[in-house]
Amino acid sequence: MDLQAIAFYLLAAVTVISGFLVITARNPVHSVLFLIMAFFTAAGLFVMLGAEFLAMLLIVVYVGAVAVLFLFVVMMLDVDFTQLREGFARYLPIGMAVGGVLAVEMVMVAVTVAANGAAGKNAAPAAPVADLPNAEAIGRVLYTDYIYFFQAAGLVLLVAMIGAIVLTLRRRPGVRRQNIGDQVARTPASGMKIVQIKSGEGLSE
Amino acid sequence: MTFQDALLLARPEVFLAASTLVLLVWGAFRGDKAMGEVSIGASLALFVAAGFAAVSPEGTAFAGGFIADGASIFGKVAIYLISPVAIYLGDRWLVRVGNGRFEFPILILLAALGMGMMVSAGDLISLYIGVELQSLALYVLAAFRRDDPKASEAGLKYFVLGALSSGLLLYGASLIYGFAGSTHFDLIAKSIEGGATGTGVLFGLVFLICGLAFKVSAAPFHMWTPDVYEGAPTPVVGFFAAAPKLAAMLLLARVLSEGFGTALEQWRQIIVVTAFLSVAVGAFGGLAQSNIKRLLAYSSIANIGYALIGLSAGSAEGMEAVLVFMVLYMIDVTGFFACLGALSRNGKPMEQLSDFAGLARVRPGMALALTALSFSVMGLPPFSGFWAKMFVFKAAIASGQWPLAVVLLLGSVVAAFYYLRLIKTMWFDAAPGQTDKEPLDAKGVAIASALFCFPVVLPALALLEPLAKTAALAFGLK
Amino acid sequence: MEPIVTTLVFAPLVGALIAGLFGRRIGDLASQSVTTGLLLLTCGLSWMTFYQVIWGSWAGQETFTLAPFIHIGNFISNWSIRIDTLSAVMLVVVSSVSALVHIYSWGYMAEDPSRPRFFAYLSLFTFAMLMLVTAADFMQLFFGWEGVGLASYLLIGFWFKKPSASAAAIKAFVVNRVGDFGFALGIMTVFWMFGTIQFAELFPLIAAKAGTQWTFIGQSWSAIDLACGLLFIGAMGKSAQFFLHTWLPDAMEGPTPVSALIHAATMVTAGVYMVCLLSPMFEYAPVTKQIVTLIGAITALFAATVGLAQNDIKRVIAYSTCSQLGYMFFAAGVGAYQAAMFHLFTHAFFKALLFLGAGSVIHGMHHEQDMRKMGGLWKYLPVTYAVMVIGTLAITGFGIPSLHLGFAGFYSKDAIIESAWAASGKNGIASFAFVVGLLAAGLTAFYSWRLAFMTFHGTAKWDSAHADAHGHDDHAHDAGHGHDDHAHDDHGHAHKPHESPLVMLLPLVALAVGAIGAGYAFVESFVGEHRNEFWRGAIFNAPTNHVLEHAHHAPEWVVMAPLVVSMTGLAVAIYVYLMNEGMGLRVASRGGPLHTFFYNKWFFDELYEATFVRATRFLGDVFWKIGDQKIIDGFGPDGVAAVSASVGRRLSKAQSGYVYHYAFVMLLGVAGLLSYALWAWAH
Repeated sequence: MDLQAIAFYLLAAVTVISGFLVITARNPVHSVLFLIMAFFTAAGLFVMLGAEFLAMLLIVVYVGAVAVLFLFVVMMLDVDFTQLREGFARYLPIGMAVGGVLAVEMVMVAVTVAANGAAGKNAAPAAPVADLPNAEAIGRVLYTDYIYFFQAAGLVLLVAMIGAIVLTLRRRPGVRRQNIGDQVARTPASGMKIVQIKSGEGLSE
Repeated sequence: MTFQDALLLARPEVFLAASTLVLLVWGAFRGDKAMGEVSIGASLALFVAAGFAAVSPEGTAFAGGFIADGASIFGKVAIYLISPVAIYLGDRWLVRVGNGRFEFPILILLAALGMGMMVSAGDLISLYIGVELQSLALYVLAAFRRDDPKASEAGLKYFVLGALSSGLLLYGASLIYGFAGSTHFDLIAKSIEGGATGTGVLFGLVFLICGLAFKVSAAPFHMWTPDVYEGAPTPVVGFFAAAPKLAAMLLLARVLSEGFGTALEQWRQIIVVTAFLSVAVGAFGGLAQSNIKRLLAYSSIANIGYALIGLSAGSAEGMEAVLVFMVLYMIDVTGFFACLGALSRNGKPMEQLSDFAGLARVRPGMALALTALSFSVMGLPPFSGFWAKMFVFKAAIASGQWPLAVVLLLGSVVAAFYYLRLIKTMWFDAAPGQTDKEPLDAKGVAIASALFCFPVVLPALALLEPLAKTAALAFGLK
Repeated sequence: MEPIVTTLVFAPLVGALIAGLFGRRIGDLASQSVTTGLLLLTCGLSWMTFYQVIWGSWAGQETFTLAPFIHIGNFISNWSIRIDTLSAVMLVVVSSVSALVHIYSWGYMAEDPSRPRFFAYLSLFTFAMLMLVTAADFMQLFFGWEGVGLASYLLIGFWFKKPSASAAAIKAFVVNRVGDFGFALGIMTVFWMFGTIQFAELFPLIAAKAGTQWTFIGQSWSAIDLACGLLFIGAMGKSAQFFLHTWLPDAMEGPTPVSALIHAATMVTAGVYMVCLLSPMFEYAPVTKQIVTLIGAITALFAATVGLAQNDIKRVIAYSTCSQLGYMFFAAGVGAYQAAMFHLFTHAFFKALLFLGAGSVIHGMHHEQDMRKMGGLWKYLPVTYAVMVIGTLAITGFGIPSLHLGFAGFYSKDAIIESAWAASGKNGIASFAFVVGLLAAGLTAFYSWRLAFMTFHGTAKWDSAHADAHGHDDHAHDAGHGHDDHAHDDHGHAHKPHESPLVMLLPLVALAVGAIGAGYAFVESFVGEHRNEFWRGAIFNAPTNHVLEHAHHAPEWVVMAPLVVSMTGLAVAIYVYLMNEGMGLRVASRGGPLHTFFYNKWFFDELYEATFVRATRFLGDVFWKIGDQKIIDGFGPDGVAAVSASVGRRLSKAQSGYVYHYAFVMLLGVAGLLSYALWAWAH
């Protein structure tokens, strides 16, 4: 067993374990931290495959942005976690059973496939050109063959943006907001009203 | 193939994307008061795109990611023509409830674009992106009325469960890619034919089917449907009960026939199970419903079951049946939701079954339209629903799927109960009071689709059937 | 020719439709005028057709196909009109009696509030009957058969508010179903055997296939006997023959004109007509012919004996009809189809006359039907009395054999009795029929004169009868036997009996003329020397069948016998009802076994009640309460509905609204589908 194999099994094992811990950890902050751990190890796997650009992206985007955002959300929302976990014990057995069935089936399939021959025997993905940097290799297909997917993905992001705006930007009636411009532009004429009050009648307003 | 040729093939989608951006900028500058203009612009863009699609040449582009063939053209024309109806209904409806925002037509436009991508998908990547584009737009649309807690809940549920289904879909796609060595349908088919991939790729296929089954709301991935139908704004439900179902159905048909045509016997068994479950859940689940929108949700589950029966035939005839069925069903369901959008009492929309009591005396026109639509969805000849079911039935029989044909009949019988109950309530129960005057737009659409159910369907079918037949041939099944 | 016969067949239908659909709108008078007018047109055209077919230019058989009816493979049936001597005779009988009954009903039904409906039914009946007699294949025959059955049902139950009328209508319908079932089976047998149901194609095939045998339950059965036997069951039902006769007396619940038209002159003779029409088949079915003879003879005797003891004026005539139909059948059975048709022809006149006369009496007595409450009416209803006597003379077959002169019944009945004698040489059943024919002739004379004497002679009992009508012993005794109190009689007895209006008397007089002269005028044509030119092959006699030939050479005692026995009957009737008035009642009240037996109609209703009705009801209860309610409904509609509803409730309960439930169901679905797929692929 060479070094590469040891590194692979280590990283893979840590990924799986931390993935498991994400859903079992009692403290949600811990869950997010385990998620970050999983991302890191997955990035390590990418590096081992020679895809260092993807590895960096994973760390920058997922760890740097997504996971940190998660952390913020988890910390900012005052969620009663004990209440959330109330049904955990009740649902655990049946959930485990379903998960177990799925796992067994996947193992079965993996074993069969492994026995019958490796995956993708007849259509192996093209090997990267030796002297081309990772990012460049991706760029070459991303803007040529995959231009359609690339642009479409852009549209998906656009929808996400529009959605975010539609769902959050709204004017609720009855909510008073400060309008500095109005405040500054106020004159005595607009700010005051002089009313004649007859004695003994008061103001009806 | 040059880039220009590729753009020419994708002209409807390119045009739609460009118009979306233009309209978005226009709306952003003009604000919500531009909603009417944007709606008109979006409708026009859809019509133009439909025109482009109709005259589109056939071929594949973008390294096989985009397919323009008979089936995709058929689907696109249908989708791009039904979407303006949704814009029209939704626009008026939102204005009436005081929630008119220009993003609504934009989102419909983007959803339609996503559907266009779905029906043209020739690759797992474009499949996924198309599905996501469509779904994201729909999630937002479902929650479009942020002030309505039910709508927000519906949108959130739809989103969370949709994300789960996307996960399943992606997982399946990655398994397929892993085992078959390609994301391209043709190459997947070739590798399956080679026989090296074995169970692994089919395993991925099951996940893929599960993900898509969620999108068409087939059992057992239907759970979101009643809640979302009930909570989301009525015209929006009308939209996503119609076109997205067609798109997802077409996509499913294409993946199964082009990517996995050689594994027909294997995927048929899964489709048979989902079809059976869908019909059963749709037929029985509807029995206990008192909310019309929930009822229609179950009805749509059952109808998707019928369409899946056609799919399970695994023949060109079956695909033709699916296409005809979905188009006819789309028109029925649009009419139904137009009726629901039109009817209100004292400003409150009529959604409970009991609200419809005595409608025939208060609003005979709407009651008549609803009755015709109910008869149609029930599958009563000579209404359009009957022809739809007949096509499916014939295809199922022709391919030897006797048990499913029987299930179709039994499901129709059970489901007939709730349509008949609606009709009985409308015609024979005492009215609790006057209803509000129905808006012209929704009423017009309702009556137009009722008229389509009968008698327009008869000449229309003569036109539709040959188109569907040529379209079905594109799937390459016998 | 074609437009004429088409018009005459469809005119009653037009009348029925107009009166039936628009009767309320156009009013009573218009409805009556339209139906009666069209019927008169039909009647006139029928006589013209009759004349033309027999003596005129339309010689021979002709069939006009109007439209296709059923065309399925070899099974070809058309709407058509077949004109030959047989159908021409029936056309005349049906349309004449029907026209007269229409006219008569103007008077008889004058007080009824729903006259348009009545006349529509009458015309509908006439149409169906005309379709029946002009049928050129079995399907149209069946159509007419069922059509007259329907009209009969509607007319018996015309006063549907009266429970007894409704019950009688249902009884008639149900008993006829038994016969119709046989008839339908017979048609199927014919089609199976010959591959056609067209008479014109069928008849030439018979001689070749007559010997066909079918094996069933290890026995060989003559196919043609089977077919004819089944068809004869249909005839038995329609013509109220023994075993299936029970509906006819009850059918008297209908208005009297209906009884005259349907239950005396036309519909009930349809069975006889069918046997004569199918003479080419029956001639090759010797066994069935024996059965026909036997059943006919038994019916003739049975009905005559029952008629002796009845007190309801209409029922007596009803049993008399039954008995006369028996005569016709045994005539056909011994091979004298011509004699059967001849009796059918004359019987139509005098029986319609008797019924309408009885109707006139009932009308005059304000809807009293019990003869025991009549008597001495001849002074009050002179015309009715006269025609009733003519009718009675006709039915008893009064005539002078040596002069060959007599009333209508004389010729036809004697022809039948002589035919039976002629056939009896080599045929035991025919001998039986001959004896029965003589015996029944005597009984006929007795009960017919009994009717006349009880009604028109003796002391008037209607005055005193009125005083204690409802306290009378016999009345209570009667009530148990289905004799009904007429709903209309409350206004009646205060007045004296009165003669009927002219519109009712005219048909009576017309029929009286027929009852006197129809026999003399047509005897030579129907059964005499000219019969071959008259029938022109419409009735088939096998080469070996010389019954009529022999009948003409019957010895003197055979010719004289009917007169002797009927005179004996008359004498007894005079002795019992004129000279010793009240003797009949005394005999009745003594309740001797024979009288009880006859009075209760040989206990047939009770027998059927005890066997068929009870057994059927028991079987029905079993199927209904256990089979249908418990098993079919329980597991079927009710059970399925309950299960569906509970499944629906469960499904909607599963719809909890929690996202994680939904997600869990999805995952469950994935796991389930995967497991299923793996399992399915492995197999």
